[in-house]
Amino acid sequence: MKTFYVNARYLIVPLMTIATIFGIFLGNNFVWLGVILFGFNTIIDTLTKDIHLRADFDEDGNSFGIKKFQYAVMYLMLPTFIVLQIILAWRLFHYTSAYPIEVLSLFGITYQSGISGINLIGATLSAGLWAGLGIIYGHELSHNRKEGFFISRLIMSLSGASHFTYAHVYNHHLDLGHEDDPATAPRGRNVYHHAWLSHVGQSKYSFDLERDKLKKQRKSFFSLSNKWIIGYLYSLPSIIIFVWAGGVIGILSLLVVWVISNFLLEALNFMGHYGLIREHGKPVEHRHSWDNDNVFTSWFFIEIGRQGDHHVRGETYFWELDDVDAPNYGIGYFSLFVLTLIPPLFRKFTKELLEDWDRNKATDSERKIAHQIGNL
Amino acid sequence: MFNLFKKKAKFYSAKILNNDKEFKVSKGKNLLAAALDDGINWPHKCRVGSCGSCKYKLIKGKISPDIDFGYVLSFDELNDGYALACQSSLKSDVEVEIELKK
Ligand code: FES
Repeated sequence: MKTFYVNARYLIVPLMTIATIFGIFLGNNFVWLGVILFGFNTIIDTLTKDIHLRADFDEDGNSFGIKKFQYAVMYLMLPTFIVLQIILAWRLFHYTSAYPIEVLSLFGITYQSGISGINLIGATLSAGLWAGLGIIYGHELSHNRKEGFFISRLIMSLSGASHFTYAHVYNHHLDLGHEDDPATAPRGRNVYHHAWLSHVGQSKYSFDLERDKLKKQRKSFFSLSNKWIIGYLYSLPSIIIFVWAGGVIGILSLLVVWVISNFLLEALNFMGHYGLIREHGKPVEHRHSWDNDNVFTSWFFIEIGRQGDHHVRGETYFWELDDVDAPNYGIGYFSLFVLTLIPPLFRKFTKELLEDWDRNKATDSERKIAHQIGNL
Repeated sequence: MFNLFKKKAKFYSAKILNNDKEFKVSKGKNLLAAALDDGINWPHKCRVGSCGSCKYKLIKGKISPDIDFGYVLSFDELNDGYALACQSSLKSDVEVEIELKK
């Protein structure tokens, strides 16, 4: 029973993504289901902010997670996210081909053919929000061996962000908490500015990484071994489908999906390490990441919020990550995300937390750097 | 033919030649994690294949790299048989050389 409970609780995103796809398929107001679910999750996350549970282990310290099952789910999220894009493209096709709005039936399921402009916006926002959650699988699989790593690249490429997989492992995990890591937000930066700087910075890092690797291998930059170029080519099918289905509107729609999904990705990076400081060359420790481990966030985001443990034991599967007394925001990602959207509020919320970090967790050198920055 | 029925080893053994230490690496575990579990002070930092501090030289045996070592190790190091322990799955018993922390 415990094994079932531990494994099933991580199915919230897969089930809600499928519900979002189904909503877009049904048409009419159902296309907004993805947006509504996102709002509903924000409420649940806020209401359960005080419930913090540890990961579950048996008496011998073994986790109840079933690796084969969790991997099957993560791998299956790739076709699920592909279907999410295809169903949106199908709706775009209805719109640009001016399909009459009428009720039809497919395999006994009635759906609305054709779509209004406002509902097309709803379908695009729904798809963007749930495509953005691909990051939680793209992230977990980026730390895995060949096949997993490759699937991570494909999932991220659906959001035009395949550079993430390399930058995350080789840059973020190495340079965390230091200005060399574009994904770490220094104190005073807001999420909007960070999203842009982090996205471009990580892509540039991945570009430089390939350039240097190919130089070492004595190969040309324009080679099939260039993962930066190949990664962006993986995004081509999405572009082709959206152009074919919707022309200029299709491109606009894909752009919205990509902007939303990349913004969510960078918001997670932003929240994960905002304002924390590490001296260059010093080991990454638990205090260099913020934990978000309230119950709903943990289950929904497949424990990605246990950043403290993850950054010290990067090879550990998500269902084995534990409470390590890292700095903790005390609230979940959904609630915190709302705060990040209003920068003065977010700065006010983190001011005391950072002061506490400086006083009780930072080393003398880190405290000194914090003083020099001084920008809370 | 008989290979078909041969059971795959549940673990391999790893021997550190310049330190005379030997430990078991169970299937699914990487070389670094197994060494650390065994109380060996194997140098490491990131555990995800990006810092290079767990570098070792493979003297004998076969490993499968979990990620491309080419980002962290130089062309010459790769040719000389260097690999990253946190990203090495064993395919046979191995003998390696590393610089252990005191
Ligand atoms: S510990 Fe950093 S590369 Fe292995």
